[in-house]
This record gives sequence, C-alpha cells and structure tokens, in this order.
Amino acid sequence: MGYVNLCNVITDFADTTSILYIKQKNLAMTTTHTQQTESKFVALASIAAELYSVMTVAWGVSLAAKNAKVISAQSGEKGRGFQPITEFIDEIAQLAMTGVNEINNEALQLTKIAVTEYRNIDAYHRFDSVREKNSKAQYIKSMTPAMKQVEQNMQLSTKIFKKSLSNLTQLLETMDEYMLSARAIASVSRIVTSNAQEYSNQLKVVADDLDQAASYIKDKLSESYQHLNNVKMQTH
Amino acid sequence: MKATKIFDQGHQWYMFGRDPEKPEGIIDTNQYMVVAGNRALLMDPGGIEVFAPMLGAILHHANVDQITDLFASHQDPDIISSLGLWDQALPNAKLHAPWIWEGFIRHFGMNNIQYVAIPDEGHNISLGSVDFELIPAHYLHASGNFNVYDRKAKILMSGDIGAALESSESPLFVEDFNKHIPKMKMFHQRWMPSNRAKNDWVNRVRELDIEYMAPQHGRIFKGDDVKRFLDWFEALDVGIAVQSEAF
Ligand SMILES: [Fe+2]
Ligand SMILES: [Fe+2]
Repeated sequence: MGYVNLCNVITDFADTTSILYIKQKNLAMTTTHTQQTESKFVALASIAAELYSVMTVAWGVSLAAKNAKVISAQSGEKGRGFQPITEFIDEIAQLAMTGVNEINNEALQLTKIAVTEYRNIDAYHRFDSVREKNSKAQYIKSMTPAMKQVEQNMQLSTKIFKKSLSNLTQLLETMDEYMLSARAIASVSRIVTSNAQEYSNQLKVVADDLDQAASYIKDKLSESYQHLNNVKMQTH
Repeated sequence: MKATKIFDQGHQWYMFGRDPEKPEGIIDTNQYMVVAGNRALLMDPGGIEVFAPMLGAILHHANVDQITDLFASHQDPDIISSLGLWDQALPNAKLHAPWIWEGFIRHFGMNNIQYVAIPDEGHNISLGSVDFELIPAHYLHASGNFNVYDRKAKILMSGDIGAALESSESPLFVEDFNKHIPKMKMFHQRWMPSNRAKNDWVNRVRELDIEYMAPQHGRIFKGDDVKRFLDWFEALDVGIAVQSEAF
C-alpha cells in the first residue's frame, strides 16, 4: 500500500494543524534566541547532527514492524486486523529513513552553498570597498569586469542558497507529515490490538514503540526547524 | 596602503605596505609589484585582510589586466591567503609557487588562476622584457621557499629572510644596521630551522650582485647593508627552540 492510501486511512486521526503549531512554537523560541543567534554554518551542521539519531530510531521501528508482522501472522484470525497495520508501520519507517537521508544530503549541500555564498559576499564587499575608496585611482576602470563578475557570483549563490533552503524546509515538512501519520497509525493499532486477545500485549508494545519513535522524531524535526529559522533570520 | 617606487629604469618596482588601516593583531607585510611594459608581476600578495587596500593601491599604478603573474614564496597565510580573492580579480593570471605547496595553497581557493609549480631548483619568470630568477631558499623558513632575483635592477625579493618585527610606521630602509639587529634576531632564530640550509643560501646569494634586498616584513637593505646582513645571518645560530637545549 502506497503512502497516498496510507494518508486516507489516517486522515481522521491526523492533527492537520501540527506543522503550523511547530512553526509557531519555533517562532516563539527564536524570539528568545535572538541575543545569541548561532552562526549559519553551525545551524546547518546542527540539522544534520539532530537528525543523525533519527536513522537509528527509524531502523528500530522498522525492526519492530517486522516482528509485529510475524506476531500477527502467528495470531491467525485474531491478528488479521493488525496485519495491514504492520505493513504501514514498516512503510513509514522506510519513509523516515529515506527522508532523513534526503534531509541530511540537502543540509550538507546547503552548508557547502552557504560557504560559497559567504565567500562571494565577502569578495563583493572587499571589491566594493576598493571601488569606493579609490574612485580617483588612474586604473580604477580596469576593475569593472571583475567587479561585475563578483556581483553576479554573489547574486547567483544567494539564489541557489535560497532555493536549497526552501528544498530543505519542504523536506522537513514532508517528514513531519510522515510522523503525523505514524502517530495516527499507532492510535489505530491500539484499537485493533485490543481485539487480538493473547497477542494484544505484544502488539501494543509495537504500537507504543512506533508512537514513541514518531514523537522523538517530531522533537528532532522541531529542533531542526529552530536551526533552520536561525538560518532564515540571517538570510536577506 | 602606502606605495613606494623603489626602482624605475625601464621597468618599475613598487613596494606596498605600512598600511595605517591594517587591522590590529596581524603582522605588517610588504608586498611587491614589478611593472614591465604592459605586464606586471605581483610578489607575495599578502593575506585576506590586506587584499582590498592592496588592490586599491595597485590601481594607482597599474591596470588589473596587466597583472599576468603572481608569485608566492611559500604557503604562509600572510603571503597568499588572499588567493581566493585574487582568483576573482585576475581570473587569467598564473601563480608561481613551490611545487611542494600546491595541495596546500589550493585550500585558499583557486578556481581560475593557473598554478605553475616551481621545481626545487627554481625557474625563471619572464615578463617579456624582463626575466626574474627564482632562487631556492628552502627551509628559510618554509621547507619549499624561493626568492625573486631581478638581475637588471639588482633587487633580491627575499621573502621572510631579512624580516624584522617592528611597527607599521617604521621607515622603509635600514638606516643603521647594528640598531636593526635586535628587530631581526629572534625572528630568524625562531622561524628559521636549519643552519645548514641557511649557510647554503648565504653562499648562493653572495654570488649575486645585489643593490636592494627587499624582505616581506620590516625594512629594505641597501648597498653595503646587504653584505652586512649576509655576514650577520651566516654567523647567527638558528633553529633555537629545541626543547632539551632551549628551556
Ligand atoms: Fe612565512
Ligand atoms: Fe612572512
């Protein structure tokens, strides 16, 4: 079952305002943070660092889902309702792992672009100060082509930076939606497992695991948003 | 940044330095430029912080397009950390620098400029009408290091050799050699590691006819002060910070 179908299943459970909530929460947090804003580079590197542990957690969930599949198979008729849900859980764990990989790659890419952008802006300002302070220099005009190039480089790298920043935001938002789905699935699981009689405890553990993992990942995403907001605050 | 023409017979030598706007805490440096016809060579162009005043000062004397060649005596940040900026100002230039430092110097950022690796024995840089000999000065202080010798002008750009640590208001030329010694002594003893390499260099440089010896820090030696420097340096014990002996 693909992610789209999965979404239909969980729509009723999902708190669709959650992403807004995180954004608002972060806005509130960054306001208190303004006195000691971390540098752009540290903020970007921190996103990858925050999400590093998510990989392990997601892998753990995938493992638990595979166990749950075995359990639901063993429980035969009683576990039937739980079987598709174990599929969902595994699927969501896979999506989380792929998603984190993408986020890490984008964050790394963005860090590199930020360095290039920083160097190009720095170069522009240094060239500009030459132009400003030496307007009467005999050969000042010979600098015009290089000056234009430096300005173009600066504009281009800023454009690329903004594009990558919006990609990263998008990826974090998608990941956040996955985690909403995961929590919804956990809720459904709890209802279904209550009918699984002697297996119900074991299945409940899997549902709880998923719920915990999803909320852990959501926390990490929320911290990543905070870093991202620091970056955005420093982007003009 | 102050620019001083130190030679003007057919081609010109400029010394740049003594920058009153230099940020606190960075060592004062001398940069040199030779203009020969429609080409120019920039020697030890300096650190990131001196890039803007340096380029500004150059534009009073030369067109940026004239600068076809850069030279870095060695890999130090005060010598060439401005490379990433020159790379954008002079995308078609060549950088002559010791072969052993290529992988290191490229860390300063170089996308356009061409790296011309100087072999250990040196090579010549030609600006068309004038040739410059690159004189090996390895281990003085960097393990791959060169001086630039202009036979026509009788000028030796000696990099860190002959350097003195003093304020950025000090005069351009050595006026009293003996009084200058205390400003040079520690620099040479601490930064230069090898007596053998030092004496080898002194012997090589004694063969050259030198009117000006122009270091990257401090003052220029003129006439007899060049010989005085060579004698003083030859007698100096360098590489002094050997743990068991020094402390
Ligand atoms: Fe040096
Ligand atoms: Fe130096």
